[in-house]
Amino acid sequence: MPDPTRQLQPFIEKMIKVLADASSEDQQRFDLCQRVIDVARERFDFQEMSKRVLGRQWKKLSPEQRLEFEDLFTRLLQHAYIGKVQEYTDQEVVYLKQRIRKQRAEVQTQLVNNGSTIAVSYIMLLKGEQWKVYDVVVEGVSLVRNYKEQFREIVDSKGYAELVVKIRDKVEQIEQAGKGQDQ
Amino acid sequence: MWMESVERKQSIRTVILTTVLLLVVGFGCGRVQAEEVDFLDDAFYEEEADGPAVADPLEPLNRAIFTFNDKAYTYLLKPVATGYSKVLPSDIRGTVWNFFRNLEEPIRFVNCILQGRFEESGWVLSRFVINSVAGVFGLGDPAYREFGIPRIEASLGETLESWGVGDGFYTVIPFFGPSTLRDFSGTVVDALTLSPYYFWVDDYWTMAAIYGTKEINKLSLSLNAYDDLKEVSFDPYVAIRDGYLQVRRKLRDHSEFEVDF
Repeated sequence: MPDPTRQLQPFIEKMIKVLADASSEDQQRFDLCQRVIDVARERFDFQEMSKRVLGRQWKKLSPEQRLEFEDLFTRLLQHAYIGKVQEYTDQEVVYLKQRIRKQRAEVQTQLVNNGSTIAVSYIMLLKGEQWKVYDVVVEGVSLVRNYKEQFREIVDSKGYAELVVKIRDKVEQIEQAGKGQDQ
Repeated sequence: MWMESVERKQSIRTVILTTVLLLVVGFGCGRVQAEEVDFLDDAFYEEEADGPAVADPLEPLNRAIFTFNDKAYTYLLKPVATGYSKVLPSDIRGTVWNFFRNLEEPIRFVNCILQGRFEESGWVLSRFVINSVAGVFGLGDPAYREFGIPRIEASLGETLESWGVGDGFYTVIPFFGPSTLRDFSGTVVDALTLSPYYFWVDDYWTMAAIYGTKEINKLSLSLNAYDDLKEVSFDPYVAIRDGYLQVRRKLRDHSEFEVDF
């Protein structure tokens, strides 16, 4: 069985490098997002994430709807995640420990900023020879669980179609704000 | 004068404590959930209850207070904490946080014992002694840095939970933020009976000032975390409610406790 930390570490280093290079070259945030998505796909399993975040609703979707949701949710996560990592590009990542149970693993890390630390755990699933991340736990809060709770309330009260509209609006709103900052 | 104010303070305290205990006994007979977090367990993702982990019957009221707290944060607390963080470097703010946390160790000691966590209660006491002496009144945390004794969490809310008192329901308290009926009652009792810095002073303005300093200092260490969360969430109220309940579960999971003495 491959070692989860050994697979995760070069990925995080690569991700930080992409972000650090981008800030020195003063690139547009929009291009940066595309590059981050490309790198993230190597280690993140966005389909698994989408499936878990929708729960029961996932089973009711057609293959096209699943792809549409996966694409939107991936873009949303990119923005949520970039915001977190970007502030810490000069900082150190400490790999604390890992736990493996059957095909699942948790790698606990710490982002160290001057004076404060943020605990970030990566929850991974073994697919073939690769450990793929399907949840990120920041300071004890699971990203997937947190979105799942919010999505469930929207689906229950307004329906799935409305959820898709809301995610699309949110992503566009964040992307617009990001572009505005660059100019 | 002094005697009078002490008496008045104590009678107000008695009234608050009695009210709180009555509330807990009255409402606190809900379900008790196991506080275990395991991200490797798929059950963690499959919990498909038809509502949040803790009932929220007061949601409309809670949302109103949430909005109030949000405004208070944006227009009052955040500017103050930002100014504060510009004046004091982060290592000093970390020191202030350590100092307050150290003074609260006796509360954790008592609660550890009440929960039957005897081994940990000994470590809490050791932390208090080491940090008060070697850490200069708790300004540093040599107990962790030099002796490898991690921070241990224990509150009356958790004690009541271990005794089978249910959460009651989810609440949002003005300025204080998310809690549940049981936990907030526990917080009030912990603060009024055992926090030395509230015990020593005899007027409420001083108590409020101490509480304010402590909270502004704490906030200054995590500025922007709230804004980040709000930016990427669809319903900040639900996001914070779930975040609060998740963090609480994590803090009360003591299975990974280990001392590296």
